Amino acid sequence: MLAAARELQIPLLAVILLGGCAAKAWRAWRSHSVTEGMGPTGLFPVHMRRPIMLAVFVTELGLGLGLIITASKIGAGPPTSHGLPATIVRAGSTLFFLIATGALNEMRQRRPAAGCGCFGELSGTPVGLRPIARSGLLCVAAAATIGLPPLRMPSSATTAEMWLAVLAFELSLIAFLSPELGEILVRLGYSEPCELRRLPVERTMAALHASSPWRRYAGQISSAAPIDVWREGCWRFVVYAGVARGRRVDIVFAVYLQPRRPVIRAAVLDAYTDEVLGLAETRESAAIR
Amino acid sequence: MRHLADFPRWYGDVTESTGPARFARRSLLKAAVLGQPDEPEYPPLGTGVDAAWAATRALVYTVTGRILDVSPHILVLGTAWGEQRFLLDPATQAWRGGPTAPAALRRGDHAIARRRYPGGPVVDRIWAEVGRVTGTIAEREGPAALLVDEGPAKGRKLVIIGAEAGGRIQVRFPRLEPGYLIDVIGVKHDGYLQALIPATSQPPYPADHPPTPPLVSGHVPDPVSGTAVWHEPGEEPEDLLGLAYPALDPETSCEHAGFAPQECSGDPHATGPGCVRLPYLSVGSLLWLRNDCAERTRQLPVTSCGATARLFCDRCVTCGTSRKGRIADLTMATFVELGGILEAGCFNATMTIGG
Repeated sequence: MLAAARELQIPLLAVILLGGCAAKAWRAWRSHSVTEGMGPTGLFPVHMRRPIMLAVFVTELGLGLGLIITASKIGAGPPTSHGLPATIVRAGSTLFFLIATGALNEMRQRRPAAGCGCFGELSGTPVGLRPIARSGLLCVAAAATIGLPPLRMPSSATTAEMWLAVLAFELSLIAFLSPELGEILVRLGYSEPCELRRLPVERTMAALHASSPWRRYAGQISSAAPIDVWREGCWRFVVYAGVARGRRVDIVFAVYLQPRRPVIRAAVLDAYTDEVLGLAETRESAAIR
Repeated sequence: MRHLADFPRWYGDVTESTGPARFARRSLLKAAVLGQPDEPEYPPLGTGVDAAWAATRALVYTVTGRILDVSPHILVLGTAWGEQRFLLDPATQAWRGGPTAPAALRRGDHAIARRRYPGGPVVDRIWAEVGRVTGTIAEREGPAALLVDEGPAKGRKLVIIGAEAGGRIQVRFPRLEPGYLIDVIGVKHDGYLQALIPATSQPPYPADHPPTPPLVSGHVPDPVSGTAVWHEPGEEPEDLLGLAYPALDPETSCEHAGFAPQECSGDPHATGPGCVRLPYLSVGSLLWLRNDCAERTRQLPVTSCGATARLFCDRCVTCGTSRKGRIADLTMATFVELGGILEAGCFNATMTIGG
């Protein structure tokens, strides 16, 4: 059981290191700035942040690849024989996570509002105890791999089940200690609120022209195109010039900005006195009040 | 390529000739159709009324004009409404590139002053020839001359950094290179701004790559807090009460394709929503803005496009530390009216959009 748990740490640590490296690279590429939102590097003077961030990036990449390469017979084994490269990589990983734990703890005290940047833009929430504990856990996991023989496939179904059980438990623990998981779930299920949603005017006009308020007032409209169109939050307003009972009027339509079956209201105002002469709305309007 | 003339006439800003009355009427039409009166502090403007003129009547603290005469006790300003006299007392503070005695101000200077009490005769503060340039560095000419792009609407301005201010500005703006942002306050001269004060710290990212804002869960919070800054009048009336809003509807306002000239570098409209997510509004929308430092609140109309404000993810520290991001770019008169100190560059603000 213990041996299975130790063996499992090597691929797990490699995936975490390479994942962190890729997330940082993605953020740097998107922001065109290596140091943007990169956590503990903010503790250092400005001129040192870029080289330190590059060093962290290269270290993560090197350790992640090193763990994979030395996991097989090529570099594994007791440190006294041919396993020296594996021992160096695994000891390096232990040291890396030990330093990370200390740096995050320091950051929590000195820059409490900043995110850890461990997984790029997913790690924007202020550093709490959970990321520090996660880093400590990974440090212990890396230490446990030192001296392991070369990895091999499970010899029996029972061993494979044990591997899976340990993997599930450890992934659950890491997920619990990762504030990034909440951010990922939010992004997966995200739907932009109507006040932030871009919706072309053409779609608004199409919905308006198919609505009952439009049919009711179309006969009074005298201008071929709207005389004003504007938007406020979730509503887009369309104004037409018109004539009703011999008076010049403004016919204003309010269209709720949702892709399908939008609520539409209409009002007719005297163009000179602003007196409201008529109101109309679609049946769904009550839901928006 | 599309030209301005290709667009229907409902695209535009408050400076266009047919604009003001039409934009002011929007709140009335909105209230009629949605049944939500905006309860404006000043009466809605009717058709044919000069909206800009009427709006200036709402300025109760601020007065702008050219200095005709100044002594230790009297300030005479030539304003749009004629010659006006104001009393100065020993507590009156003046600024012209730095703190100075009111009597040291020069005749002919353009000045903006704040009354001590609404409509009162005593002036509390006077700023002379104050200017500001906010935007993306387009070109650097030598160690101290910068050409700054303020966006498609405002164009480019020349900034000269004086030797006495070079160190101060370089500390806050370490990358005075094309593509990076700058925001400086100083003294206006013919054709350029003499930069004297850094208005913020330089963001570390290039202007065309501001950070992505966090996703909004549910609806955008209302009210929203952040930083309020100011801009020079440009082509707007100098007494205009209003603000440039950072998130105008991209479909019907200044962001619409075709407005940005091709030579414009770092078009703020093409850089995403910036670091604060704000509901889309239009010119003419009314909102309430509170200066959290002076505890002064006014209802203000959106008068122009403030997309450049989206590029800055800074905080204001005038009184405590504000939330990150610029939520309003006020006209100079509005900033002073709400109790802001122009040379400070910003105040902590709370904006209420509902209504």
